[in-house]
Amino acid sequence: MELTSKDYKKSARKAIGDPVLQSALTGLQGRLGPATATLYKNLPEGPGLRNMAYQYRRKAVDNLDVMLTTLAENIRKQGGEVHFAPTARDAVDICLDIAAGNNVKKVVKGKSMVTEELGLNRALMDKGIEVNETDLGEYIIQLAGEKPSHIVAPAIHKTRKEIGRLFSEKLGTPYTDDPPTLTWDARQALRKKFMEADMGISGCNLACAETGHITTVSNEGNIRMSTTLPRVHVAFMGMERIVANLEEHQAILRLMSMGAAAQQIGGYVSYIGGPAAPDHVDGPRAFHLVIVDNGRSRILADDEFREMLCCIRCGACLNVCPVYGKVGGHTYGSAYTGPVGAVITPLLGGINEAGDLCQGETLCGACRQACPLQLNLPRMLLALRSKLSQGDPKWNVKPKSRWEKLLFNGWNFINTHRRVYDASLAIGRVIQKIMPKSEQMLTKLPYPFNGWTQSRDMKPLAAKTFMEQWKEKKEGRS
Amino acid sequence: MDMEKEFIKTIQTALNRPETKVPDDLFTTTPSPEEVTLLEKIRTRTDPERQPLIEVLRRVVPGLHMDLHVEESIQDVARGIEKLILEKKPEWGTKKSVVCWDHPLIKELKLTDLPNLKGIDVYTTSMAADSPRRREEIRKEVQDSFIGITSADYCVAATATLAMKTRPGHARSVSLVPSIHVAVVRQVDILADLRELYTLLKWDEKERKEGLTNNLSLVSGPSKTGDIELVMVHGAHGPRELHLFVIP
Amino acid sequence: MYNKKVTLFIQCLVDTLYPEVGEAMVSVLENLGLKLDCPTDQTCCGQPAFNAGHQAQARKAAVKFLECFKDAEVIVSPSGSCVNMVRNHYPELLRDDPLLLKQARGIAEKTFEFSEFLVDVLKVKDLNARFPGRVTYHDSCHLNRNLGINHQPRTLLSNIRELTFVEMKAPDKCCGFGGTFAVKYSDISTAILEEKVNNIIDSGAEVVTGCDMSCLMNIQGMLTRKKAPVQVMHIAQLLSRK
Repeated sequence: MELTSKDYKKSARKAIGDPVLQSALTGLQGRLGPATATLYKNLPEGPGLRNMAYQYRRKAVDNLDVMLTTLAENIRKQGGEVHFAPTARDAVDICLDIAAGNNVKKVVKGKSMVTEELGLNRALMDKGIEVNETDLGEYIIQLAGEKPSHIVAPAIHKTRKEIGRLFSEKLGTPYTDDPPTLTWDARQALRKKFMEADMGISGCNLACAETGHITTVSNEGNIRMSTTLPRVHVAFMGMERIVANLEEHQAILRLMSMGAAAQQIGGYVSYIGGPAAPDHVDGPRAFHLVIVDNGRSRILADDEFREMLCCIRCGACLNVCPVYGKVGGHTYGSAYTGPVGAVITPLLGGINEAGDLCQGETLCGACRQACPLQLNLPRMLLALRSKLSQGDPKWNVKPKSRWEKLLFNGWNFINTHRRVYDASLAIGRVIQKIMPKSEQMLTKLPYPFNGWTQSRDMKPLAAKTFMEQWKEKKEGRS
Repeated sequence: MDMEKEFIKTIQTALNRPETKVPDDLFTTTPSPEEVTLLEKIRTRTDPERQPLIEVLRRVVPGLHMDLHVEESIQDVARGIEKLILEKKPEWGTKKSVVCWDHPLIKELKLTDLPNLKGIDVYTTSMAADSPRRREEIRKEVQDSFIGITSADYCVAATATLAMKTRPGHARSVSLVPSIHVAVVRQVDILADLRELYTLLKWDEKERKEGLTNNLSLVSGPSKTGDIELVMVHGAHGPRELHLFVIP
Repeated sequence: MYNKKVTLFIQCLVDTLYPEVGEAMVSVLENLGLKLDCPTDQTCCGQPAFNAGHQAQARKAAVKFLECFKDAEVIVSPSGSCVNMVRNHYPELLRDDPLLLKQARGIAEKTFEFSEFLVDVLKVKDLNARFPGRVTYHDSCHLNRNLGINHQPRTLLSNIRELTFVEMKAPDKCCGFGGTFAVKYSDISTAILEEKVNNIIDSGAEVVTGCDMSCLMNIQGMLTRKKAPVQVMHIAQLLSRK
C-alpha cells in the first residue's frame, strides 16, 4: 500500500511555489465550494436532510454485518458473485484469479479510489495485463505516470498545454491546447480500449443492501462503458460503502452529487445488481463484487473513529479546505487527499507514518461545514494528534517528539503557577530587548518559533500584563 | 466461504455483537403515510397537471446541455428524428446508421417507412433467444450507429433524468455508445422529482415485482467532463448530444 | 438591568501582548454599568496544548481554570477560540471525572464571548461608539463555525457612528493561524495568511477587526511585515471609542 506522507512539508513547499497549481486550486475552490453550499441551502427537504443522511449512514455502519450479508445474498440471487477480502493482498489476488480464469488480457477501469489504495493496477500489469484508466483525468495522469491530486478532478494540477504535449507524445496526435480537441483525442483513443477490453473494473460509490445493487456515478459515461462493454465486470467496494434502503440511498446519492460536483444528481448513475441475464442483448456475462476490509474493521471497532466510515468520498471537503487549497493533492501522498485524507490515511496506513497529515491542518472546521454528512473531521484530527502525543498500543502508535511533550510539560508548570508565569514573562521582556525590531514589532524570533517570523512580525510582550494593570487599578480604587 | 465467515466475524467483533443488538427497523417494509400520499398523487395526476412538469423540464434542459422537443404525435417525433438523422454528421465515419431499442413506442416511429431515410440502416436490438452470435452482431450495429434511439421508464422533470431499467431488447449500449442519444417518452411517464421516482421504484407494486433489474441507469444529460482546466466539454466517452422527445 | 457580576476571562495573548484590548472591553462593560471581577491568577485555558494533541497537559490547564472561575456568576471573554475551548472541549477533556465534568458543564453554560454577551445576553446593539474610518471584519473560524457567532459583531459594528463597514472577500476563510500549526507548518500557514491579508488589503479598509486576538495577531504580523496601511483592532477597541 502506498500511503506515505514523509515528504509532506517538502511537497507542500513545492506546491505553494507552483503558480499554475495555485491558480488551478483557486479556480476549483472558488467554483465548487460556494456552489455546493448554495445547493445545501436550497434542499427541498430542508437542511435536516443532511442530519438524516448521517443517521442513515451511521445505521448502516453500526449494522455492517447485516448490511453486507444482505447485499451479498441479493446479488447472488441475481447471478452475481461476491468475494470478501480481509486485506489488500486478498483483494488483489481475487481479481488476478478472476482475470486468469476468464483469460483477460486487457482491462478498462472506471475511477476507483479503493483500487488505488490496493495498488491494483500495478499487480495487474505485473501479470502482463494491459490496464487503461478511462476517466479523462485519471487517463491523463496515467499517461503522465503521476498520481491523482483531487478526488473528483484528478488532473487538476495539469495545464492544457502540458496535456497537449503529453497527448502528442503518447498518442501521436497533433499538438493542441484546445480542451474540446484534447477531449476528443482521448475519446478516440479510449473508445478503442473500451471495445477491446475483456474486463471492466469499477469502484462502488454506494451499495444498497435491500435491493442488492452497487452504484457507480460519473459524468463522462466512462464507468457505464467499462461496466457495459467488456464481458467481465469486477467491482471493488470499501466494506463501509453501503446503506440499507432505496429511500436512504436516494438521499445520500443526491448529497454526494452536490458535494462532489455541485450537481443535483451525477450525469450517469448506474445501479448494478448482477451480470446480464441470458435474454439480455448486452452487458457483461459475469459480475464480481469484491468487498474490501483492509484496515476498516479496526476503524469500525474504535468509537472515536467509527464516524469516519460514514464518509462517502465526495471530495466536498477538498473544495473548501484552506490547506488543500494551497498544498494540492500530491502532498498528501495517497489516493485520499485533503481533510478526508488527513484522517483516513493515518487510520489505514499508520498514524506515526502519516503524522504530518493529521498535524498539518488549522482545525478551521470548513471541512465539516462542507461535508454533506457534516462529519466532524476536526474532532478526529484532534483525536489522532492526541494519539501521537500520548501513544496508543491499540493503534501501534508510539509517542512522537519527546521534545515537544517536554516543552508542553514545562509550559504546564508555568501555566499552573501564576507567579512562575509572571516571572517567565519578566525574563521574556528582558530577552526581547535584544531581539531585532522594526516599528515596535519583533522581526526575528529564535528557534523553535522562527517559523513565525519567516513571513510575519510578532507583537512584543507588553510592559505590564492586563492582570498587573487590573490589580493596580483595583488598589488605586481601594 | 471461510474467508467470508471470517470477514463477517471480524465485523461482528468490531461491532461488539451480540451485546449490541440489530434494530428491527433496518429495512422498511411498508411505505410511510407521506409516501402513500405521494404514490396516490402520482397515480391520479392528470394531463393538465403534467403541463407544469413539462415547463420545468424546459427550464432545466439547457443547463444540462440537452435538447427538448415537445411534440403532438408519434409522427411528429418521427419527423423530428428524421431531421436529426439527415442534418447531423456521423462522428466516426461517413456512413449513417441508426440503432433502436426493441420497444413498442419506438416501433411506432416506423423510421424505415420514411422515404428520406432510404439507404440508411435502421437496426433494432432484438434477440429471439439467447444467442452469442446475435449479441456480437448487435454490438457491431450499436458501434456503427451514430444515433441511438431509446425510450425510458420515467423522465424526472426537476433534474431531466431518464430512468432506464434493463429488459430483453432494451440494449444498455444504445443510450451510451452512439454519438447522439434520442429518447422518446410519453407525458404520463414524466415525474416531478427524484423523490417521486424513488418512491415509485420502491413501493409501486409493478416496480417492486420487477425490481431494479440487473442494471438501472439514470441519465441526466449527455456525457461531459471538466477534467482539463475545468473547461466543460460535452461528449467525453458517451453521447455528445441528448435529444428528448415528449409526446402525449 | 443586568445584575450578575461579570467575571473577566482574559485570553493569555490579551493579558501578555495586548492588555489594551482587555482595557477596552472593561471600559465598554463598565459604561454599561456592569459590576466586574477578574481572577488575577488566571493563565492560559490550554487551547494550544489541546490543539497540538497534548490532552493530558490541556487537562491540567482546564482544572486550573475551573478552580480560578468556580465562583463566577457569568464569564465574559474577548476571544472566540478560548470560549470554544471552555464551552465545547472542557466537558470532553474532563469526561472521565464526574465531579470535574459537572463543574465544566456548569462553567460552559455561563461563559460567553464578548460580542455574543452584548448582543444575545444583554440585548445591547448600540454602544454609542464613534469611529471614523473604513472597517472590515474577519470571521475567526472557531467563533464562526463552532460558536455560531457572526451576525453579532456585524450588528455591533453597523451601529458605530461614522464607521463605514466593508466586507472583504471570503471573510470566513481561515487566516492560517491554527496554534502551533503556524510555527510547525509555517510555509502552509504563510500561504493561507497571504490570501487573507490580500483580501483585507483589497477591501480598501483602514482597519481590520475581529473577536479573537489569535487570528488578529497573525494577520497583524503580516500586515506590518508588508508595511500595509491597515490597522488591526479588536472589536472592543472600536466599541470603546467615543
